Amino acid sequence: MRNVTEQDFDDVVLNNAKPVLVDFWAPWCAPCKALAPTLDELANEYADEVEVVKVDIDANPALAERFGVQGIPLLMIVKDGAECARTVGTISRSRLDAFVDSHVGGE
Amino acid sequence: MMENIAFLGDPSVKQEALTKLRSHIAAGTFRYGPAWSDEGADAIGCIVEADDTPRYSEMLGYPLALATALPSIVNAFLPLEEAARYAESWLERTPVGADLSKVVSQVLVEILEEPSVVALTVQQPDVEHSRKAVIALHRRVIDGDGPGRAEWKAVRMAAVAASDTVTDGVLLRSVGAIVEAAAWPASMRTVLHDVLGARGGLETKQLLAEIGWTDEKESEVYRIREQAETTGQFAELNGLDRVLALLDADHPELAKGFRQRMVQFEKLGDAIRAVGLRIVELFERAPIAVETR
Repeated sequence: MRNVTEQDFDDVVLNNAKPVLVDFWAPWCAPCKALAPTLDELANEYADEVEVVKVDIDANPALAERFGVQGIPLLMIVKDGAECARTVGTISRSRLDAFVDSHVGGE
Repeated sequence: MMENIAFLGDPSVKQEALTKLRSHIAAGTFRYGPAWSDEGADAIGCIVEADDTPRYSEMLGYPLALATALPSIVNAFLPLEEAARYAESWLERTPVGADLSKVVSQVLVEILEEPSVVALTVQQPDVEHSRKAVIALHRRVIDGDGPGRAEWKAVRMAAVAASDTVTDGVLLRSVGAIVEAAAWPASMRTVLHDVLGARGGLETKQLLAEIGWTDEKESEVYRIREQAETTGQFAELNGLDRVLALLDADHPELAKGFRQRMVQFEKLGDAIRAVGLRIVELFERAPIAVETR
C-alpha cells in the first residue's frame, strides 16, 4: 500500500483515473494499526478497481487540516478528483467491503 | 506444497517451536498479545521472534486466519499461566503433517450453529437466512468445493443488508455482526479473528442483558466518576474502590447493579475459550496429509 504525502497527494489521489481509498492514520493510533492488515487485504482484492493509499497525519498535518480529519482511522473514497464518501473509526471487514463496494463497485 | 500442513510435515519444526515457547514461559517472558519486545513475547512472538504473524503461519503451517486469531484466543485465558498452558497445548496437540486447511471453516460453522446464536437468528428471518447461506458456503469448502469470490460477496452483502433490517434489539444486532463477519472464505486473514471479536461482543451483551445492565447505566456510572474528579469526593481511593464508594454513598441501587456487572464480567471469555479448546480438538482430528520426515 502506497504512502502519499502533501507533495504527491494531488497527483496520486485527485488526478487518479481509478477511485482511491485514502486511509488517514497515525503511528500512535492502535485502531489504525489493527485496521492495517484488513486494508492490505482489501487493496489486493480490489486491485483492479481501486487504489488504496495511506496518509500519516503526523507527517502530513496540512492534509489532515485540508480534509477536516477530526478522528482516525478515517477512510475516504475519492472518485474523479472529489471526495464521495468517508467513514471514521473502526469498521468490520464486511462493513468495509460493503462501504467500498457501494461507492466503487466490484466483481 | 506444504501450505496448511502442520509443521510442514517435519517433527523437528514442531519440537523447535515448542522449545522456544517453553523457554519463554520458563523465563517469565511469555505475555498476552500482541507483544514482541525486550520485555516479552506473545504466542506468535515467542516463535518467530518478531511481530510477524504471516511468518508464524509460513514457519509452522497453520492457516494464516488461525495464526491471526491465536493471540485473541490466548488472551481469553486467565491468568497468564492458563494462557501459557493453552498456547503450549495449541502446538502440542497439533499432529505433525495434519492438513489444517479445513479447520477455519469447521470452526466458523460450529460458531454459527451454537444454540445461543441460533436462538437469536431465528427471530429475524433475513439474518437466519444469511446464517444458513454462510454455513452452506463453508460446508462446500469443507467438502472441497470452494465457492468463488462472487458467491462469497453476494452472501456477504446480503448478510450486511440483513443486519441493517434489525432496527431494535442489541442482541440481534450483535448476532448479525457474527454472521456478517463469517461471510468470508477461510483464506481471508482476519475472518476468524473478526468472528471471535463479534462473538465476544455478543457474549458481553448477553451477560449484561441477564442482569438488566444497560448502556445508560454504564454512562451514569461514568458520569458520577467524572463528577467526583471535580468535587474531590473519595479522592483518597483509587480505581474500582472509588467507583464503588461513590455509588454506595449516593446511588445504592446503581451500586448493586454495578457489583452484579463486575461478577458478570468475570465470566467474559467463556465463549472464546470454548472455541479455542474446540480448535485444538479439530487439530487432533485433522487428516494427516503427508508423510512425516
